[in-house]
This record gives sequence, C-alpha cells and structure tokens, in this order.
Amino acid sequence: MESLLILHAAAAICAPWLTRLLGRDAFPLLALAPAAGFCYSLWVLVSGVPERSSTPWAPALGLSLSFRADEPGVLMMALVTGVGLLVMVYSSRYFPAGEAGLARFGGFMLAFAGAMLGLVMADDLFLLYVFWELTTVFSYLLIGYDPESRASRRAAMKALMLTTFGGLAMLAGFVIIGQAAGTYRISAIVADPPEGGPVVAALALVLTGALAKSAIFPFSTWLPAAMAAPTPVSAYLHAAAMVKAGVYLLARLAPAFGDVPVWRAVAVPLGVLTMVLGGWRALRETDLKRLLAYGTVSQLGFLTILFGIGTRDAALAGVAMLLAHALFKAALFLVVGAVDHATGTRDLNRLSGLWRSAPWLCAAAVLAGASMAGLPPLAGFVGKEAALESLLTWETFDTAALAGVVLGSALTVGYTLRFLWGAFATKPGLPPTPAHRTPAAMFAPAALLAVLGVVLAPLAGVYDAAMAGYTGSFRDAGHGTHLALWSGAAVPLLLSLLAFASGGLLFWARRPVARIGAALQLVDSATLFWSVMRRLDLFAIQATGIIQRGSVPDYLLLTLASVAALGLFSFLYVTPPDLSLDIVAWQRPEQPFIVVLMIAGAALALAARAYVLLAVMCGLTGYGTALLFLSHGSPDLALTQFLAETLSLVVFALVLRRLPIEPVSARLRFPFRLGIGVVVGAVTVGAGMLAMEARQAEPVGGLMAGAAERAGAHNIVSALLLDIRAWDTMGESTVLVVLTLGVTSLVFLRRTSYTIERDEGGGTRPAGRPHWLSSALPRGERALAFEVAARLTFHTVLVLSVYLLLVGHSKVGGGFAGGIVAGLAITVRYLAGGRYELAAAVPVHAGVLLGAGLTLSTGTALAGLLSSGAALTMLAADVTLPLLGTLHLSTGLLFDLGVYVTVVGMVQDVLRALGAELDRQIETEDAS
Amino acid sequence: MESLIAVPVLLPLLAAGVKLAIGARLRHLQSLISIGTLTITAVVSLVLLFEVDAHGPVVTELGGWESPLGICLVADRLSTLMLVVSTLVTLCVMAYAVVGSYADQEHDAPMAIFNPAFLVMVAGVADAFLSGDLFNLFVAFEMLLSGSYVLLTFGGTQSRIRAGATYTVMGLASSMLFLIALAVTYAATGTLSFAQLAERFGPLDTHVKLLIELTLLLAFAIKAAIFPLSAWLPDSYPTAPAPATAVFAGLLTKVGVYAIIRLEALLFPGGPVATLLMWVALATMLVGVLGAVAQTDIKRVFSFTLVSHIGYMVFGVALSTVQGLSGAIFYVVHHITVTTGLFLVAGLIERRTGTTRVERLGGLMTLTPLIALLFLILALNLSGIPPMSGFLGKLALIQAGLADGAPLALLLVAGSLVTSLLTLYAVAKVWGKAFWRAPEPAVAGTVVESDESTGEDPVVTTTTMPLALVGSTAALVVLGLSFTVLAGPLSALTDRAAAELMAREPYVSAVLGRGR
Amino acid sequence: MTITLLPFAAAGALIATGVTLLLERSLVRLLAGVVVLGNGVNLLIVTSGGGPGSPPILGRFAPEEMADPLPQAMVLTAIVITLGVTAFLLAMVHRSWQLTGSDEVQDDTEDRRVRLRARAGELSEAVRRRQEEYRRLLAEERVQRPTEKEARRRLRLRRREALRLMRHAIREERARQALALDPELEGDD
Repeated sequence: MESLLILHAAAAICAPWLTRLLGRDAFPLLALAPAAGFCYSLWVLVSGVPERSSTPWAPALGLSLSFRADEPGVLMMALVTGVGLLVMVYSSRYFPAGEAGLARFGGFMLAFAGAMLGLVMADDLFLLYVFWELTTVFSYLLIGYDPESRASRRAAMKALMLTTFGGLAMLAGFVIIGQAAGTYRISAIVADPPEGGPVVAALALVLTGALAKSAIFPFSTWLPAAMAAPTPVSAYLHAAAMVKAGVYLLARLAPAFGDVPVWRAVAVPLGVLTMVLGGWRALRETDLKRLLAYGTVSQLGFLTILFGIGTRDAALAGVAMLLAHALFKAALFLVVGAVDHATGTRDLNRLSGLWRSAPWLCAAAVLAGASMAGLPPLAGFVGKEAALESLLTWETFDTAALAGVVLGSALTVGYTLRFLWGAFATKPGLPPTPAHRTPAAMFAPAALLAVLGVVLAPLAGVYDAAMAGYTGSFRDAGHGTHLALWSGAAVPLLLSLLAFASGGLLFWARRPVARIGAALQLVDSATLFWSVMRRLDLFAIQATGIIQRGSVPDYLLLTLASVAALGLFSFLYVTPPDLSLDIVAWQRPEQPFIVVLMIAGAALALAARAYVLLAVMCGLTGYGTALLFLSHGSPDLALTQFLAETLSLVVFALVLRRLPIEPVSARLRFPFRLGIGVVVGAVTVGAGMLAMEARQAEPVGGLMAGAAERAGAHNIVSALLLDIRAWDTMGESTVLVVLTLGVTSLVFLRRTSYTIERDEGGGTRPAGRPHWLSSALPRGERALAFEVAARLTFHTVLVLSVYLLLVGHSKVGGGFAGGIVAGLAITVRYLAGGRYELAAAVPVHAGVLLGAGLTLSTGTALAGLLSSGAALTMLAADVTLPLLGTLHLSTGLLFDLGVYVTVVGMVQDVLRALGAELDRQIETEDAS
Repeated sequence: MESLIAVPVLLPLLAAGVKLAIGARLRHLQSLISIGTLTITAVVSLVLLFEVDAHGPVVTELGGWESPLGICLVADRLSTLMLVVSTLVTLCVMAYAVVGSYADQEHDAPMAIFNPAFLVMVAGVADAFLSGDLFNLFVAFEMLLSGSYVLLTFGGTQSRIRAGATYTVMGLASSMLFLIALAVTYAATGTLSFAQLAERFGPLDTHVKLLIELTLLLAFAIKAAIFPLSAWLPDSYPTAPAPATAVFAGLLTKVGVYAIIRLEALLFPGGPVATLLMWVALATMLVGVLGAVAQTDIKRVFSFTLVSHIGYMVFGVALSTVQGLSGAIFYVVHHITVTTGLFLVAGLIERRTGTTRVERLGGLMTLTPLIALLFLILALNLSGIPPMSGFLGKLALIQAGLADGAPLALLLVAGSLVTSLLTLYAVAKVWGKAFWRAPEPAVAGTVVESDESTGEDPVVTTTTMPLALVGSTAALVVLGLSFTVLAGPLSALTDRAAAELMAREPYVSAVLGRGR
Repeated sequence: MTITLLPFAAAGALIATGVTLLLERSLVRLLAGVVVLGNGVNLLIVTSGGGPGSPPILGRFAPEEMADPLPQAMVLTAIVITLGVTAFLLAMVHRSWQLTGSDEVQDDTEDRRVRLRARAGELSEAVRRRQEEYRRLLAEERVQRPTEKEARRRLRLRRREALRLMRHAIREERARQALALDPELEGDD
C-alpha cells in the first residue's frame, strides 16, 4: 500500500515537469496514478478484506506506518481513486491550453489524491492525522489556484483556519484516546475501546475535528467559500473526497464509540441542524456551484446524523449514502463545470434553454439530480429509504432527528429541482444562452458517474453483503435493516412521498421561499468568521503594542525589576532565612578609607552631568576596586584592574572628545532608578553573604596550591590562568579579539583606506627642530616634553612589559598585564606624536597581531592535543638564564605570548580606530 | 576519543586566528578555510555522537587537569546532539555567506571581519554545549555573544546600530546576572564544576539554592528570549545580515534553552521553579505568536514565532519528565534547522526584491517558484504540519503534557495547540500576501533604498541566484525533512538523552569518577 | 565564616550605582553603568569567594593563609572581557553619534508602527464621542427653537463646529483603520 502512495508522490513531483512538456494533455497520463489505486482497490475487494500492512516509523512517539483496507476503507479508496481518475481526465479539457497554473494544479491535485488515499487507508491515529492535515494543506493550495483573486485567497485562508482548528483539537483527542487505550492502532482501539472520563472529552475533541473537516455547523462556512476553486477541485475535494474525511472518521470510530452518550449528543443534533440549514440556504443561491455547495453541506449533515446514531442499521444506510452522494454530487459538479465552460456563466438567472443546446449534458444532470433527490430506482433512493427505516426502528426513537431528515429530504428535492431548472430550463424573458460544444473528455466522466447511480442501485443487496464485515462490528445490532431497491416498507415510503410533495411545493414557490430565506437570515456565518479574524488581528496588534515597547530602558527595567522581585521572593520563600551572620565591619585598616573613597566616587558619578567627570569618577571607583583587591590579597588582580582601568580611561577620553553633546535625560525619575538600584544591590550583596554563610564544603580554590606546584609555578593565579584554567584564558582573549574587530568594523565601516600610512611627505614635521619622534603634531598641539618622555620611555616600558610576561609564572605579572603595559607605551607615543607616530611605533598591518596572537594561543592548545591527547597540555622545562634567574619554560609561555600579542594588537587596533581614524575625521571636517 | 571533544571549539578559533593574520587578501583561501573547518567539525561531531550514544558520556580534561581542579569538556548525548545539529546548520549558513553578497562585502572591509566573528561565535556555541564548568560556560557565552555583537552591527548602518544597542545592552545585562550568580554559587559551594555542583547543591540552604537557580534562570532566560525578557529579540535580530540573523535565530536562543535544560535537569532537579516555568512558557507561546500575527515584515514575523516556539521547549523542560525533556530536545533540534532556513529564505527574498515587507511584496510564487517552494516547506514545517519535524516535536510535547495530566499541563497543551494554529495563520498571511496576490512590477537591478545619511547600503535587487546560495538553503530544508525519515532513531535518541539527563548519575560519575 | 561588611558594602554601592546608571537613555551613561556594575560584581566575587589573606604566591606565604586564588582568576577573566566590551560600546557610541548626533538609545521604529496601528481600535471611541456631541446639539436645536435670532445663530455655529470636528475625527479614524486593518480580512465573501 505504501507503494501506491509513493507512486502518487512521484507523479506529483513529475507533474510540473510533465505539464511543461505536454501541456494539459499531461493530465490523462498523470491520471495513471489514481487509476493504479483504483485497480488496487478492486483487487483488494476481489481477494478479500481486510488487507493490512505495518512498518514501524517512530515507536517512541507511537507512530507507525500501519495501513488497513477494510470494508469502508476499500469503499473510500475506490471512490477517491475512481473520482480522482475521472476528474484528472476532465481537467485535461476544462482548463484552456497553456494556462499558467497548470503545473501547480497537476502537482497539487496528485499530491492531494495521494494524501487522501493515505487517509482512508491509515490504521494509525497519527498516520491518519498526518494525511488529514496534508489534505488540508493541499486543499489550501488548490483553493488558492487563482492567487490574484482576493476571493480565492480568502476562501483558502478560511478553509485552512477552520479545518486546522478542528484538526488540532482532534490531535489532542487522538493522544488522549491512544494513551487510554495503550495503542494508536485504530483497528485495535475499535476492537477494544477505552472508557472513562478523559475518553469522553477526547471524543468531543475528535468530533470537533471531524465536523470541521466535513463542514458541519458551526464550521460549514468554509465549504461554500471554497467554491472559488476551479470546478475539478470542487468536484473532487469538496464533493467526493476531502469533505468525506470527517464522515469517514465517524464511520471508522462509530463501532467503538457510537453508543457513548457524548457521541450522539453532539453528532446527531448538529447533523440535523446542518442538513436543514444547508438545504434551506441552497434554495436561494443563484450561483449553481454555490447552490451545490450548500447542498453538499446539507448532505454531509445527513451523513453525520447516520454515523452519529451509531447503530448498525444507521451505519448501513450511511455507507450507502456515502457512495451514492459521491457519485451524484461529483457528477453534478462536473456538469456545472461543463455548463460554465460552454456558456461562461454559472448564474441561474442568466442561463436559459440549455436543455436544447446541450441535451446529453442535461440528461446526465437529471439522472444525477434524481439520485440526489432520492427518486427510485437510483442509488440515492436506496440510501435514503434505509436511513428512514433505521431512524424509525431506532430504539431511542428521536422525533426531532426523523423530522429533520424528512424536512431535509424535502429541501433536497426542492433545491435539486431548482438546480435542474436553473441550469437547463428555458426561462421566460431570457433568450437561449449561447453555448459551445462540451468536449467528450468533460462530458464522459460526468455521464459515467451519473449512470453508475442507476447501475449500482439494483446491486444494493450485494453491497449490503459486502459491508457485512463492517456493519457486523457494531455492538448495537439494530433491527436488521437491509439495503434493497424496493424494501416494501410502507412508512419510509410514505415519508419519502411527503418529502417529494413538499419539495415540489418548495420549488413551485421558489421566489417567496428565497425572499423569506433572505429575510430570516439573522447572521451570515462568513461575516461572523471574518469579524472574528479581524478582532483577532486587532487584539494581536494591541497586545503587541502594549508588550513590545521597543525601548531598551523599558526592557532593562523589566529585567532588573525581575531580579529584585525574584531575589526578594527567594529570600522570603517558605520561611525567612536565618540571619545570624558572623559579621565584622572590616578586617584591614585601609578598607574604610578605600570604601569611603569609592562610595564618594559612585555618588559623584551619579550626580555628574558632564561625561568627562562621569568617566573620571568611574575610573575612581575602578581604582578603588583595585585597592580593595590588593587588601584582599590579590596583587595580580589589583595590577590588572589598575592597568585595564587606565586603558579604559584613555579610550573613553579618545571617544568623548568627539561628542559635543548634551547628555540625554532619562525617562524614569532618578529616585525610582536609584530605588531599583538599591534593591538590586541589596539583593545581590545579601545573596553573597547568605551564600558565604551557607558554604559547607571546602572550596576547590584550596586545592590550587598543590596544583600550582605540580604545574611548576609559584604564582597560583598565574598557574590558574596559564595552565589549570587556560581554556578560560583562551576564550577571554578570543573575546578581546572579536570585540576589537567590532570596534574596527564600526569605525571604519567598509572603507578600504584603512591602513594609516607613515608620514611620507614629512609635511607635518616642523623644520629646524630636533625630532624626537618620527612624526609630530602640528605646532600648536605639540608638547615637546611629552614627546621626549614618550621617546625615552618607550623601549624601557616595552622591556618592562616583556619582563612582566616572562615572570608571570613566579611573580606578579603575566601576558595580559605585560600586553597592557606595552599597549600603554604605544598609547603614550600616539598621544605625543599623533597618528603617523602610531604607524611608526607598530609597523604591522591591522589585524595581523590579533590574528597572530590568537593563532599562537589556539595553536599551543592544539599542539597539546596532538602531543598528549588533551588540549592545552603544556610541555615544560626549567632553564637558568643570566639576569632573570631560573625560568620555568613551557609551552605555557608561548600561550602567554599569544595573549600578550593579542592585547598589544587590540590596543593598536583600538588606537587606530578610535584614535587615528577619529583624528582623520576631525581633520577632514575642520578642512571642509 | 576524548581528544576529539576539544576539536569543535579549537578548530574554528584557530581558523579565525589564521584568517585574521592573513588579512582580507586571498579570498578563496579564506572561504576554503571556513568551509573546510566547519566540515571537519561536523564530521568530528557526528563521530562523537555515535561514540557517546554507544558508550555513555565522554570527558576530556583540558591541560590534563582533572575535575574539579581544571576545566573539563563533557560530551553526553544531549551536548553532542546539539553539537551535530549546530555544526551542520552553521556549515550551510557559512556556505550561504561565502557565496552570497555577504562575502562580497568582505572585499571592501578593512580586514576580514565577518568570517572571524562568525567562526568565534560558532566556537563559542560549541564550547557552551560541551562545557562542564559553570565559569567556562560564562566565557563560552561571552565568546558567542561578542561574535554576535560584531555580526549584528556589521556595516554600522543606523538600523543596525539601533538594534545593536538593544541587543548588546540586553546581552550585557544577562552577562552581569550570570556573573552575580557565579559569585553566589562559588560563595555557597566553593566549586565551579557542574558535576561537583550537582552534588553540592543538594544539601544547600533552600534560600541560597533558590536564589542561585532563579538568577541563573534569569540570565539564561534573556538569552533564550523567554517572556517577559523576550522583547529585545524581535527588535534586534531582523536587522543583521541574513546569514547572521539566521544563525542568531537558529542557534543562539537555543544555547540559552540548552543551558536551562542543563540547569534544571542536572543542577536543580525538582523544585518550585517548574510551576513558574510552566506559566512563563504559556505566556511566551501566546505573546510571541500574537506578535507574529501583528507583524507585516517577514523577518519580524519569524522573530516572533521564534520567541513563541521557545515557549514549547520551556514547556517540555518544565514538565520535568523524561517524555517532556525528550520532546523539548526534539523540538530544539527541529527548530534550529527550520528557523535558520527560514531566515536564509528571507535573505533570498530580500536579494530578489529588495525588501521583506509583506505589503510591498506580491506574486513571488510565480516570480520565483523555487524560493516559494523552499519557503512553503519551511513555513509549514514551522507551523507543525505533519509529517514534518515540527509536528513530531509538537506531538512529543503534547503526549508528554497529556500524560502528565495536571490541570496546568493540560492548559499548556491547549496553549500550544492555539499557538500552533496562530503560527499557521501568521505564515499563511505572509504566504497569501507575499507569494500570492498580483506580482509587483519589481524589476531586477532596481535600487530600492539608498540613503547616505543613515549609512544604509543601496539595496540592489537581482534575479541571479547563485546555485550555492539556493543550494545551501535547500540543504537546510532537506536536513529538516530528513528528521521525518529519521524520526524513529532521532526520537529514540532524544529519549535516551532525556533519560540520561534525568538520571544525572552518568554525567557526574563520568566527570568525577576517575578523579577518585 | 566571618563576613567582612565593608567590601560587601562597597560592592553593593557599586552595583546600586551601576544599575541606576544602566537605566538611562544615554549610551555613555549606560556604558558607565556597565563598567561600575562590573566592578561591583567583580568585587562581590572576590569578597564572597573567601576571606582575605596573603597573596597566593607559593614560597613566600603559607598556603593556609592565602586568599582563595580561584575567584581571582575568574575576576581577571571578567576584567578583560569588560575592557573589550567598553571599547566596543565606545565605538558604538561614536557611530551612533555620527549617525544621529546623539548617543541616545533609539526606540525601535517597527514597534512604534505597531503601537500606532494598535490605537486604531481606541480611536473609534473618539468618533463616537464627536457623533454624540453633534446629535445632542442637533436635538437641542430642534427642541429649544430659541426665538432670539442671536441665540439661534450661536447654536447653529456650535452645531456646525461639532459637525466639522466629527468629520475630522472620522477622517482620521479611516486613515488609522487603513493602517491597522488588513484588506484581506475586510468584508465578507
């Protein structure tokens, strides 16, 4: 059975290519796929049902590719493939040759056929759902066949939303049923249906899905709108195949759940309502296709009643109606398509005299129409008689249901007459509508379907016997109704006659009926649907407008408020924490002074309006932090903090010189902001204290002394950075590299003139003065003493930086500190000599140092990986050198050198961007 | 085998270093390095996945320092699965970026910026997945964030600066929160190794434990874009260059989700936070999808659905069952692939028409059938149309939620179904307007926008779509579809990964076992 | 463990200052906030990580007296990262100033559009108010029928003014509706 689906999929994929090659003549060729399916279903019928197969797919999710062709399955297979075949043949003449959308149409149509075939064969709830949704999607794409028409776009959207809504509800229902039953196999569930409260809720959900798919009230509105699709689509999807999916699901589950109260309580009343309302509405439609669509809605209501009753008798009538409806409704749709094709209109107020110009078409339509109205000796009659009989003999006799069905039948007779009259009759005052000839490929499928309605009717007994396997599975055996062309039962026949008579009456009084219908209409379901969608859109816009402020301070406020709230919440959770902390005010005498200094700095930073003051105060708090680090016992940290803070200050100053701007005032008031700040500060500090108090285990940091000894280092922090936790250091220097790239990217944008060349012409070099630097600032900006100092100290400081790099393992220092010191040396030269001096100081292309540093550190890591199997393993040796003493040399030094080079590269690039390039911009602006 | 674990982090970093060192010259070599590196990484990740799935978690001790002294990288089922998907996806995106105009712009750049930043970001993502140390996780986050800061502000146009400010500031806020949590964690436990933390958190004071958990959760929630900390995402992602946005959307938020999974499963199993997460997940789903319905720009629609679907994953995590966790992992895998693909398609649309604003688009189905097909498949996959992976992930989550059966879980199942429907509505609206409707008379080569004052580049539309550009997008589509075919093995793998996570013991003993 | 209050207080003060600065719209102040906050958090890491002690250098001090080196290593890394972030944000400040002449963090334009569209629903309220006002005046004119010429004139003028306002509100409403509502959703089939 999978091979059939693969065949359809392959055909669907080939369809665009074939149609491009052959045009619309490709359709009969493509019809081979459904034809194969039809043959297969006949073969199954002959070889005996049920045919089954199962392949695991995703057992963890309960998904399996299980197929099963039992009686209703084969019936639907034959219908889906048979009508599919005929519709494809029909389509080859329906569309004008060379129409643009043919390729799409062919592909989607076959894909739909495959999905529908899969749906009726599936024996796994989820597999059924898979195909179910696929039919929805392809139907969406097919309804939107004419994408430029707003009506078809809207119809497609409506069908998609309503059926998917139901589908999703159904999915939840499937999961509940499957979990209750312990299996997702439909045949197993039907054989041993689960019970209980959740299952009842699940059934309601499943019914929602089934009813939405089959356009039952209150979901009916999508089906008439879907008539915007081309007629072959309507004939196939909206008459024979897709809309039957919901009814088919009811038929599959009815043997198991038909006697559950919720099943009947939902399906039967909604079915009756739909049958009557649909028929009533069809009585005043003037578009033939929409008339048929409302007729379909009504008939689907009828089918829903039959399977909703859940007895054997009703289900038997149901399967009979299922077949009959597919035959006559598909035929009628095809006839409407032919009429449209021949005359260019479907409006029954404009069509006239067609029975004369298209007599054979008229004959086929009358035949199919008679079956629809339930006239003997046609298939429709057989089904309706059996339905009436099953209703009459139903144990829990339901007058409303019976009355509804009779009324519905009367309405059916009425709109059938109106349809036939509207399409073919000669109307007084209207000239005969000119009509082209209908091509044989369009006429034959319609005629064949119509004739089948006559041919199959006498075989009712055979059909009844063939369905025995299915009908026998119902727990409620009913009264043993049988299908027959002439059952001889008097009451159903009388009711039928009543329906014929009142139907004729309705047709006779068609004008007043239409007027009354229009007048009685309180609310149009289409308007209702769209107003709901509009409200949804409006609600979405308003909700988003409220939530999505688009303002960073708002987002930050929310974040920080969450910190405060969650922090307070965890303090107060269950019981307030034990606050008997062992607190001393300070442990080192210098601490009070530093802290006072820092708090003063912080307060000034808050008060500062000018950016420069703000930067200085930030720096002050930073230096204070460094001092606190020192008093805590972390000289490395203090050194690094001090150097980094200095560098930040320089960069701050470089940028701030370009910003002659007024500080923007904050939107939030200061006390409010401060309040949040204080709460966050209190929460975090309180958390820190609580956590310190709560510590039970020995910190890992205590083990580091031994580890550092193993690494051969004296400075434990250095050992951590360069050896034990060198992975973090590598990451950190990478971050530095990338952020420097970001600075370059933001300042230079995409200009090629990036490299700051050395000063070639010597234009800025003042003549006749001693030159301490290779270039100099213009006269007014020079400070000779600064130049001299810069020149003299440069190399000394560089040596110092290398020293710091080398001694990192034994004393305070390290690659990062060394790098910043070297960077500061370069900075001083830049500040003294301007941008050309920068190029002279570091005569390397941009990015090269960064890249080299990164390559060096990661390369060391990789070398460790290659040599010993663990990345970053350092290879080490002790070497004694003059002046420096015993040095512990290891690849760790190379790694550290990488960090050093990276930092120098970073300073160089940042100076180039925020220093030199900004100089250049200022110069350009001054010049212009 | 252990030695391979560091490769996905080291190799991209080395490549970034080499590329920087050789500068913007030798563009072909540059592309070769990028693609080659990521290909090797992908192969290594796949090997690791098979190894780990067969023999349990593998640990490498960096520098030879055993845990808890040094940092270790841990490859368990979850981390290697994430690694495999992320490297495959970044490989496709890199190919896209190299062929597309994004690499063309590199020509004029002062130095190679896009490629190194991208590679560092990839390395950061890999490090985040593998890291077995809380502080190293912070460093990994910084790596990927700094890479993304640079990519987001690439070119320095006005809209990117605005978006970059939002993104950077929120990124910094999350980093600060992470640091605060680190301070409290070390103060309370005296260790940073995940495995040791898992042991030491157990007997800790409830308040401190809750504080740490909530602070970390907040930090990760910003990264994962969970409501109410999600609003920054749709404001910032859509403005970046298409391949950058694609990776941001696909991967970066998932790193946050990954961190939350680790946090909840390994460090803080059970506890009062699950209920909070449930509510937050519900709000994220609904707020996100309503946002998507309200938008009229393709990239923004997808940014909002991204937020919304993060809610699915949080839902799965919050259930704290093997089933729920497995569903969440499955959904993460699916969502990485699909979202990345969608943003690449948005990039293709922009290249073709010069805009992604829905009201200015029309008739794309007839103009560019191939792009339309790619969009359709991805959009349907996103909406959870079966049999695609979006449906499978959703199904796993619904099953887990219904199996849980608590009223709140049922409410979340209902919420996720509504979200699914509205997602479909949002993408169908885009499809209906941008791909159906009458085609706009857009001519190839039109200069759509050019404004010197904002620094925006002139957008030039083009009909030429280099094969590799469409090909790399198509590769992502195929990858997404392959999850359907591989649903059996994949869902079994996510089940095993979830069971391993819930058990906790395999992870802890793999890391600490040898040290004792 | 003994807790030393002052370093904690300093950390708290820095964090509070940092958060306060962070909530401003100016990028420079925001950056200052990040720097100060970062310092505060770093201080918190070191302070809460263990008590003070001697520098962790082997050979010079006894290992038992040393301050815990692990938080120090962590903070060193954090300092470097903050340095990089500072440089990057400063470059962003510069670029932002170049583009807009200000270092204000800009609001998102697209979100503003959505908010504008969101107001469409509320505006119908305004239209309704104008309509009621006009109707009330109309009714007043009919009922009262002031005999005095001047009074009649004044009433008429007021009514005309109300009519003008109502029309204006309706026009505005339509414009907003056009922005808010999707033409695909309008009308029925």
